[in-house]
Amino acid sequence: MLKTLFPTLGRFRFTVQIIMLFVTVYGGALLGSYTVDRISQALPSLSCAYDKMTGDHCILIVNQHQLHHRVGEALANAKDITLKVFIPTLMSVGIFFMFFFFLNKAFCGWVCPLGTVQELLRKIGLFFNRPLHQFDPGNVGRVRPVKWMMLLVLVLGLPLLAGMGVASNELGDPFCQVCPSRIVTTLLTADTEQIAVRTGTNINFFLGALGNAMFGFMIIAALAVRQPFCRICPLLSWNALFQKLSPMKLVKVDAHEKCAKCGVCENACPMDIHEIGTEFGRKAFHEDCTLCGRCAEYCPDDGVIQIKFFGIPLFKSSRDYYKARVKHESPEGAPKKRVIPILPKPASN
Amino acid sequence: MLRKAICLVCLALPASLWAVMPPAHDHAAMTSGQVSMQQPREWTAYPLLKPRMSGSNRTNQVITVVPQNIVTALFDAYSNNLQEADAHRQLPMEMAGARLDKPATEGFHLLTAREEQADKVRVASTVHFFGERGAKNPTAMFMLQKNELEIIPQPYPREHSRYRANGAWQFLVRFNGQPLANQKVVLETSNDSRQEFLTDAEGKVAVRIPDDFRPVAEQAQGAGHDHGMRRGADLVLAVERAEAGKTYLTAFNSSYGPDAFDGRSLGWGLGFTLLGMLGAAPLLRRKQKAEAAPVAADDKKEEV
Repeated sequence: MLKTLFPTLGRFRFTVQIIMLFVTVYGGALLGSYTVDRISQALPSLSCAYDKMTGDHCILIVNQHQLHHRVGEALANAKDITLKVFIPTLMSVGIFFMFFFFLNKAFCGWVCPLGTVQELLRKIGLFFNRPLHQFDPGNVGRVRPVKWMMLLVLVLGLPLLAGMGVASNELGDPFCQVCPSRIVTTLLTADTEQIAVRTGTNINFFLGALGNAMFGFMIIAALAVRQPFCRICPLLSWNALFQKLSPMKLVKVDAHEKCAKCGVCENACPMDIHEIGTEFGRKAFHEDCTLCGRCAEYCPDDGVIQIKFFGIPLFKSSRDYYKARVKHESPEGAPKKRVIPILPKPASN
Repeated sequence: MLRKAICLVCLALPASLWAVMPPAHDHAAMTSGQVSMQQPREWTAYPLLKPRMSGSNRTNQVITVVPQNIVTALFDAYSNNLQEADAHRQLPMEMAGARLDKPATEGFHLLTAREEQADKVRVASTVHFFGERGAKNPTAMFMLQKNELEIIPQPYPREHSRYRANGAWQFLVRFNGQPLANQKVVLETSNDSRQEFLTDAEGKVAVRIPDDFRPVAEQAQGAGHDHGMRRGADLVLAVERAEAGKTYLTAFNSSYGPDAFDGRSLGWGLGFTLLGMLGAAPLLRRKQKAEAAPVAADDKKEEV
């Protein structure tokens, strides 16, 4: 029965993604307006607090507000730096990592509504035969630090400075103001408020303009680049902090006799993680991995790449699975027999 | 793309240097009818409860519930944590009002005051939200019968939301626990609007809050991050009913904000979105030489 419904891991993941898209974007409307208060902080994914129907609040708005209103204000007052101030912040971070502990970065690859929307946009791009831009190792290396800058500056730094009174209060939640998920998820509920830029002050206007431009860029880029925003998302770096501690892991066995380093897994990876093809062991489970499982699906060698939970394989690569999978969809994500244009290298005379 | 992204992030940092140091906003204040400690203007004859906040920050914050147009010695405070011992507290009237201490569990609180004289019963009610952590679903607290004639928000705006002009909000009107059909409901606002509505067969009424804010040319510079909610006014809903020789008047008051698009520009928003789209447009270009290669690549992978 399950085999019929979900013949591939990819089909199973897509089903979960669609269900979670509805929970995170429309969950409040389906399960009751106040559901959001109960699930908030539990799902480490970009489910926007500005979405009036959402069933969950993204952890990042909580983090920013706590740094702004609690830690920052307490540091400014100095005398109030007590456990009473820090415990709620630690609790919210703790709840986040408790949930994250069990499912690891699968929240990115299976739950995040913005991730799902970007994947759907790429499918639209494929439908219109748009090319696929893959990042070579050099470009990937240059993009990777951006997500840490986003975390340190926009999620942690500026809200803390705003709370301390060093920066303007308008910088209390700067990441939310530039996050494309704020616009995407509210638009999905037919709410156009968030796409309208706030004009009250220069900072509001600047952040709004930046956020809208990023949103516009992402919408178009996602037609030709897999997961463009995920690559700089601060949740990816937040999750990466404790990635190695989780019992849910991507494992590539150190099997030189098996892995032919064919590179198919690299092509299948939507985050262009080249290490999955070239490295083994802990290095293969890179901080950018969203545990989507495509590398394991498209690995043609038995048992080389596995998704494990407490050491128990939930899914492992197999040659037979690979052969069946590749008949329907290429590693790059195109339905079989559809041509994916690969951009030519610059011509040399 | 990398350079653009780095530039964008780096531009956000110096923005903080524009800072002045305005007072911080309070999330609890957004969804409750809180006011600062200043003399209120009389804008309605209906009974009101106004939670006033004092103290410079969260740790020394004090909430005082101030009655207007109602005489009472005791207030009732209901918490959404109904199973707790102090789910229902009675607050004595002091000099300035009744002090509402923050319970450990925080969350939504329904506040009511009752004045009974001979054959007249007047009830004022409002909601205060201690918004420092996610609250339990307050529906059961709202549905608990507290007085004969009641106005029950369905739902009350959750955290990060509030009543807003041009929005329609639903309320249930009931008497002795039974929905009241075709009951007149009066809405008055501190911006001098007055409207009347009728409940439907299930005792529910959708109240559309009028956009009665005066236009403001520019928001004050650096007045805090506000989620678009800085401007606010007060509203009160009131129902009256005569039953068994008694007249009952019940009011529910809260604050509300201007229209969602107040202080926002859809034109600028669409413009910058389009700009971003144009920036990514070159990625969609497909060159002729690219056509044939991938099929071969796929076939090769099948042969692996």
